Amino acid sequence: MTKQHPAWSPYDNNGGTCVAIAGADYCVTAADTRMSTGYSILSRDYSKIIKLADKCVMASSGFQADVKALQKLLAARHLIYQHQHNKQMSCPAMGQLLSNTLYYKRFFPYYSFNVLGGLDNEGKGCVYTYDAVGSYERVGYSSQGSGSTLIMPFLDNQLKSPSPLLLPAQDAVTPLSEAEAVDLVKTCFASATERDIYTGDKLEIVVLNKDGIHREYMELRKD
Amino acid sequence: MECVFGLVGDGFAILVADTSAVHSILVHKSNEDKIMVLDSHKLIAASGEPGDRVQFTEFIQKNVSLYQFRNGIPLTTAAAANFTRGELATALRKSPYMVNILLAGYDKETGPSLYYIDYIATLHKVDKASFGYGSYFSLSMMDRHFHSGMSVEEAVDLVDKCILEIRSRLVVAPPNFVIKIVDKDGAREYAWRESVKDTPVSSA
Amino acid sequence: MPILLLPSTNFKFFPPKLKCVDMKLDTSGLESTSPFFGSGDELCPELSAAPSFSLPLSTDFDEFQKDTKATLKHAKGTTTLAFIFKEGVMVAADSRASMGGYISSQSVKKIIEINPYMLGTMAGGAADCQFWHRNLGIKCRLHELANKRRISVTGASKLLANILYSYRGMGLSVGTMIAGWDETGPGLYYVDSEGGRLKGTRFSVGSGSPYAYGVLDSGYKFDMSVEEAAELARRAIYHATFRDAASGGVASVYYVGPNGWKKLSGDDVGELHYHYYPVTPSTVEQEMAEVAGA
Repeated sequence: MTKQHPAWSPYDNNGGTCVAIAGADYCVTAADTRMSTGYSILSRDYSKIIKLADKCVMASSGFQADVKALQKLLAARHLIYQHQHNKQMSCPAMGQLLSNTLYYKRFFPYYSFNVLGGLDNEGKGCVYTYDAVGSYERVGYSSQGSGSTLIMPFLDNQLKSPSPLLLPAQDAVTPLSEAEAVDLVKTCFASATERDIYTGDKLEIVVLNKDGIHREYMELRKD
Repeated sequence: MECVFGLVGDGFAILVADTSAVHSILVHKSNEDKIMVLDSHKLIAASGEPGDRVQFTEFIQKNVSLYQFRNGIPLTTAAAANFTRGELATALRKSPYMVNILLAGYDKETGPSLYYIDYIATLHKVDKASFGYGSYFSLSMMDRHFHSGMSVEEAVDLVDKCILEIRSRLVVAPPNFVIKIVDKDGAREYAWRESVKDTPVSSA
Repeated sequence: MPILLLPSTNFKFFPPKLKCVDMKLDTSGLESTSPFFGSGDELCPELSAAPSFSLPLSTDFDEFQKDTKATLKHAKGTTTLAFIFKEGVMVAADSRASMGGYISSQSVKKIIEINPYMLGTMAGGAADCQFWHRNLGIKCRLHELANKRRISVTGASKLLANILYSYRGMGLSVGTMIAGWDETGPGLYYVDSEGGRLKGTRFSVGSGSPYAYGVLDSGYKFDMSVEEAAELARRAIYHATFRDAASGGVASVYYVGPNGWKKLSGDDVGELHYHYYPVTPSTVEQEMAEVAGA
């Protein structure tokens, strides 16, 4: 039977907002834990951040089914990498892998908007930001997802560092300390929750630094 | 917009094409040679989508020379035209090449000839033919002034008349044209008619 | 935030169970990606095989592409230019990426360094350009290893054009210039996703290109010093970013000479504006007078 289903779509948008900030020796990655569809809230405690490697985490919003598929694929690829090289993948390598993985679905994209946060080979914080089909860029800070248009201008205002394209080059390290960066993330999520219906419930913050990884949580508005 | 035309004279065939590479409102280049020398005694002029135009004419050129390598004799103009038509017809039911082609050649036995092949694989042997917006002007010009057994001078004169008419009447007239000739001595570039000079770069 | 109401998008789609149109795609463009070592293939071939593009199980591929494109809104809007002059090739670009009206980045690297002697510019889909230029970089390196000499600009541009041509009609969006220096001297080609490939001396690509052409054409001479040429390129990009809302950010200028490329400058066009047009304190024509006895 070949009955047409004109309204059927392979995609949904579950909303959510992700933020990552790179510092001199740390990286803060954060996302809210709300998952919605349309005007319904499906879950108030759904983690959008996964650890891909020892020094690399990914926060993803968009369509969580695609995100889950993407996470599983990356996890499997990383496992193979570990078996072959007997080491963890570096964050820049994972950044490239994520870009290619997204692009291989160029004609049927993963509907996911990702930021990758981690530490590079020198221990400096690094953030990679993506579009759905894998164009990517290393930046000092980034925001993706439903609240990104509210958060990004705020981060620009607070952190605006000289463009990496400038010549003569200017120092582009985020001037914040780790504690200040965590505070800034909390502030911008609290604000985004006020104006974005897809952001709220709880904020999950993952901090990567030379001591390792730790998570902390902050309650957000639940309406 | 695109103007490609040609005619057969006494012992030769002549092809003319505009040399503009256009993208929406932009002219990216005004010295793009759209007439390819297919082999020693054949010319192929093509108009249509830029990607298809280059890929298809190069494909034909490579296959024509492959035939010559394998068999030691070149294809006749008629054979090359039929081969080209066949390839277009096969592609038509898969992913069509959006190209219109004028194929001119000179054979020892049959003398000069001109073939009209369009993107839906129509093949005609003709004395004069034209494609593109320029055809509205050049066709009637050639109908009026063409006669069989034209000399090279007469033919070039007619070609210049056509170019002049296109330049003066067509809103989106291309500035430059290339003229190529094929006769018993082979296929070669005859002249350029340029009203806008680009920095000269030989065509790829 | 209007982008969030997705259900209204209208996909002509079969649930995968009902019908499976097995579309196979030519992935020859990816062959050069290095193969996986070890043969754990039996375990999960999907993971260890060289990855290939997966296609939707849709019967109407074109419609699907159109809808995904509308849903995802890839980054677009650009001004890039390149020209050949006496000393070599000058390449310049802006750095803005926008999705509709939203500026998604002001720091995009639109000039891609393929190898030390060759540059590519990107206009159109950011991912398409980035990915295929990366792919071209791999192919060029392999050519170098196989033939013990650098690939020509002609060859490299044709490599890219042929790949893009093989994907024609599938919705790729690429408008690029390949500029470089090879054994024949400076080279410049324009290549796009419709399969077009043009050799030339002066090109500009992107939504701001008509503005850039205006400045470029009026100021272009073959006999220019590197400094003059760089200034012309920078100026053309600046004027394009001034008029074209989809272009902006930083104007980067690269020069390719006999010893490879070199980045000459990167200037914030916001600051460039006041460099070109300094604010002069204007004399106040008439001081507002206090109304007497009010």
